[in-house]
Amino acid sequence: MARYRIGRLRGDKRPPTPVPRAAGEGGEAAARDSRPRPGPSGRVDRVSRPRDFDRPRFLRLVVAVFLVWTFAPIAIVILFSFNAGRSLQNFDGFSTQWYSEFFANPQLRESLYASLGIAVATMIVATILGTMLAYGLVRARNRLSPVTNVIMLVPLVVPEIVAGVTALLLFTQVGMELSVTTIILAHITFSISFVTVIVRGRLSALNREVEEAALDLGATRTQTLRLIVLPELWPAIVAAALIIFALSFDDFVLSFFTTGETPQPLPVRIYSSIRFGVTPTINAIGTLMLVVSVTAIAIALALPRVLGRRGGGVLIGRDAA
Amino acid sequence: MTVEPETRTGEAIRFESVTKRFGDAEAVVDLGITIERGEFFSLLGPSGCGKTTTLRMVAGFEQPSEGRIFLEGEPVESVPPYRRNVNTVFQSYALFEHLDVFENVAFGLRRRGTGRDEVRDRVAAALELVQLHGRSDAKPRELSGGQKQRVALARALVNRPAVLLLDEPLGALDLKLRRQMQVELKQIQREVGITFVYVTHDQEEALSMSDRIAVMREGRVVQCGAPEDVYERPTEEFVAGFIGISNLLEGTVDGTGRVRVGAALLVPAPLPDGCAAGERVRLSVRPEKIALDQLEEGMVSLEGTIEARVYLGMTTQITVALGDGARLVALEQATYRSRADDRWEPGMRVTIGWHPEHCLVLR
Repeated sequence: MARYRIGRLRGDKRPPTPVPRAAGEGGEAAARDSRPRPGPSGRVDRVSRPRDFDRPRFLRLVVAVFLVWTFAPIAIVILFSFNAGRSLQNFDGFSTQWYSEFFANPQLRESLYASLGIAVATMIVATILGTMLAYGLVRARNRLSPVTNVIMLVPLVVPEIVAGVTALLLFTQVGMELSVTTIILAHITFSISFVTVIVRGRLSALNREVEEAALDLGATRTQTLRLIVLPELWPAIVAAALIIFALSFDDFVLSFFTTGETPQPLPVRIYSSIRFGVTPTINAIGTLMLVVSVTAIAIALALPRVLGRRGGGVLIGRDAA
Repeated sequence: MTVEPETRTGEAIRFESVTKRFGDAEAVVDLGITIERGEFFSLLGPSGCGKTTTLRMVAGFEQPSEGRIFLEGEPVESVPPYRRNVNTVFQSYALFEHLDVFENVAFGLRRRGTGRDEVRDRVAAALELVQLHGRSDAKPRELSGGQKQRVALARALVNRPAVLLLDEPLGALDLKLRRQMQVELKQIQREVGITFVYVTHDQEEALSMSDRIAVMREGRVVQCGAPEDVYERPTEEFVAGFIGISNLLEGTVDGTGRVRVGAALLVPAPLPDGCAAGERVRLSVRPEKIALDQLEEGMVSLEGTIEARVYLGMTTQITVALGDGARLVALEQATYRSRADDRWEPGMRVTIGWHPEHCLVLR
């Protein structure tokens, strides 16, 4: 069946050959012969299953392999984080001991708090700066804006390792002591572009005439921003903020280059502890980080829809004037 | 609704040799028109003729490169958009999607700190005016195009501006709704007595609603006058061609006060002052002024052959070849007298004619 359909898909690009017996297609022709023959018109299958033609079955297999490949290791990490034994091969029964161990470890706890703090600070600053940049890029029209547009994309395409090394060199050159502050600065630098790209998308969809209408109706520039632009952008801003939170929270490369001695962010701490042997606590930490990141991303994805339905008007009620 | 006489007289907007350039391109050139209070004034022209730029300069979104604009006698160049006593109805409606209909309409009043009760009453009255009472809780996305249009109108009118600016407000509506809204807009304008400045590229819209029309082309006003003037007595070929279908015949002025078209045709036509014999001119005749076969006393009469016939329902458009490459389009109105089989076929010989006063000589 699948072969038959692939043959037809190919046939769309070439004039259809009634009996494809070319050298390379012998197998296909044979496979075709072994099938139950279609009716005299040769169209029986097409009529009975019209939807199958543009959905070759092997694509489902590709998707299935991809899903297993991606999610099986994650599922195993989650499963073994609840393992009663120390083994990373055999599941010896359910237990939450590795979670207790994690929270009992002051160093790991400190790292968790550091990571959360870094993520929150990065999120706030990068979201504000990125939103301002997006507004400027979309609304300002001058000769520099195409240049700014390209510069803005640089952090997205520069390999993180390069960004990490550059940040490290910069901080040591200017004599800044590596600490949580340097990590936050590095994270902000590379997060701004993400915010800008997300917010800019929404902003481009916002008709310029809407802002002019607000001015026309007596709102000053500031009032227009506060009462019209921000409420329209709000879902995108919140989504961008949560994505930045997730990115910053589990970032390793940048953090690794810019971190001080203590406290180290969680991913860096995990990396150093793995060098002294893997304990199942890693699985528990991994699962916890996964939960935090997935929650942030899920909220980011769901928010525009929830806010969209209620119009994002939560910020200004009817009597706000 | 009675309007005080003094509010209906005097000027609403005056342009004094206003020019607007974007880089090297001139959008508006040496504009000098005065719009009276209470007038329904249309700026008509093809896209890119500067009509929207003109409107945006009045609203304050653009500043003139040269010249001055006066609003009710006061110069406005230093007044920001949010302090000008004008309101705009945008082509895209530009409604605030996150606010409901009530808050959209109330937006302007709230910015001016109007009291709660007054806001409620005036918004209700404005929604009544545009026949949208009962939809005040709806969000813009729940409304149809025509309803959004009405909200945009109510949102602007509720502020009782000195001038209402409308930028092709009916452009996004389908034909039937557009016709209906044309009638309503005109009615509303009469009711509220506010000066309307209406930008459109649709000649029928301009003709049906306006007190006066300014026809614009490449940034300049080519003719400004009442709809009848602009339609019946276009001063330029562009106006004749842009408003309605127009027949243009090339010719030269004959010594006997007639126009010679081609080699053999001599057409009597009222010549403008100072037209010398031998001057190249164009003759313009509106299609609906042309009679086929049943000529009246005093008509110019020409022989021709039917070249094409297009049935348009209410009218039939007939192309007549006059020889020498000259052709005319005639519109024949369907009436209670005509029969379905009573029609022109290509190849038929026909006599066409028109009253001399319906023929314009354009230089």
